[in-house]
Amino acid sequence: MTTLQWLQMTLEKEYGLSPDRLHADAGLEELGIDSLGVMELFFSVEDAFKITVPQEQIELKSIAEVAQYIDRLIASQPAQVDSETSV
Amino acid sequence: MRRVAITGTGVIAPGGNTPGEFFGNLVAGRSQIRKIDGLDFQRLAGPIAAPVSFDGAQYFPAPKLRMLDRVSQFALAAARQALAESGLQLHSVDNDRCGVFMGTGMGGSQTTDDGYRTVYAQQSDRVKPFTVLMAMNNAAAAWIAIEFALTGPCLTYSTACSSSAVAIGEAALRIAHGEVDVMLAGGAEAPLTFGTLKAWEALHTLATPDDLDVSTSCKPFSLDRSGMVLGEGAAVIVLEDWEHAIARGATILAELAGYGLATDTAHLTKPTVAGQAAAMRRALRAARLEPSTIGYINAHGTGTLANDAVETTAIKDVFAQQAAEVPVSATKSMHGHLLGAAGALEFVVALEALRHNHLPPTMHLQKPDPACDLDFVANTARAVSTIDAVMSNSFAFGGTNAVLIARRATI
Repeated sequence: MTTLQWLQMTLEKEYGLSPDRLHADAGLEELGIDSLGVMELFFSVEDAFKITVPQEQIELKSIAEVAQYIDRLIASQPAQVDSETSV
Repeated sequence: MRRVAITGTGVIAPGGNTPGEFFGNLVAGRSQIRKIDGLDFQRLAGPIAAPVSFDGAQYFPAPKLRMLDRVSQFALAAARQALAESGLQLHSVDNDRCGVFMGTGMGGSQTTDDGYRTVYAQQSDRVKPFTVLMAMNNAAAAWIAIEFALTGPCLTYSTACSSSAVAIGEAALRIAHGEVDVMLAGGAEAPLTFGTLKAWEALHTLATPDDLDVSTSCKPFSLDRSGMVLGEGAAVIVLEDWEHAIARGATILAELAGYGLATDTAHLTKPTVAGQAAAMRRALRAARLEPSTIGYINAHGTGTLANDAVETTAIKDVFAQQAAEVPVSATKSMHGHLLGAAGALEFVVALEALRHNHLPPTMHLQKPDPACDLDFVANTARAVSTIDAVMSNSFAFGGTNAVLIARRATI
């Protein structure tokens, strides 16, 4: 599953949004998700991708932009592995 | 001073999510008090309350619902009803002359509870980003102003159990003074969370659950009363400059005729006859009505030992020889105490009584307290011949006593 697909699935499941509205270029504002809503979404992102989303001001306007931002974070952060199994 | 018309009402209440359904259950004497369940509720001494039957998903799209505490959901749903009944077309009014005044005691209780649970109980730093915006006391009023683009004054009053009576009274004054033409006014409360219930329990004012039938646990004016039962919900009314309402051909439900305020200063929680009586007298004076014109009083009637005896004496003080004749009922016996929303909800009860000439009963009044010896419309609703005016009492911790009077609409 690509990051974009995960995002579309999460927005459908957790935000009750219809799949036909969740195309890659769909504007977050049009979907009723403001900047605080994106921050809340990042809690799920951190859990799903085992990354840390930094506390930074970032303007993301579409689903595709959020997916690209997550992909950049994944690429820039070393995989967080459970310490007990990494020995 | 301009006259103030009431042109719409809306409620989300225990026993009904429209004024008609809610009032129908009240006159049928159906208590909505029941055992409630929730996270940690087994730690409550008496987990009873009067909850509403409400599904926010029926009213709001999911992304918006995530930003609304239950208290704001109730408020918005009630405001929509009230505005719809008023028939007001907002594109045809000057929105700068329309505003929102709401009352709430506890604000976004569920959000506050959830936030503390996250940081203290779960030791997590992941606090929901909307927490402040959902928990703040003025969220409900702000959401109403936003939804209907009402750009006049938007205020939230928090005077505990009289909050929404104050909001309605103050809104009426703004119209009477000519500052605005239309106000949505009322209150909302959603306190049925573990933390809030526990705090109320610690205050030792909640009723002991009646083992035989928990729905009868709140027994205002009865010798065996043991306290109040918390409820939740919202009530909003549309107040309008009388001439404004007439000019657009609106149906005027009643006139908001009087509003009286007085403050008890004996103690934060101790009601006084003088304070309650003064509020009633000031409302009567503002309405230019004699006590004999009042055909029904919706009492504050919490079911606590202190309030009910003091309120009885205060009514006698104001109504003198006529006190025995004016029907008084405490509908909290059925819908519980909605705290900051109580004043607005019970004012709607009084309006419905005026509209239908039907007085809802004080339920569970089997053993009258000799100290409470008025006509409490005990246990059975009463149909009456036309009544001309009704009074609704709201008294509060902190001492702010507020009384509203509505009069039958006459041109």
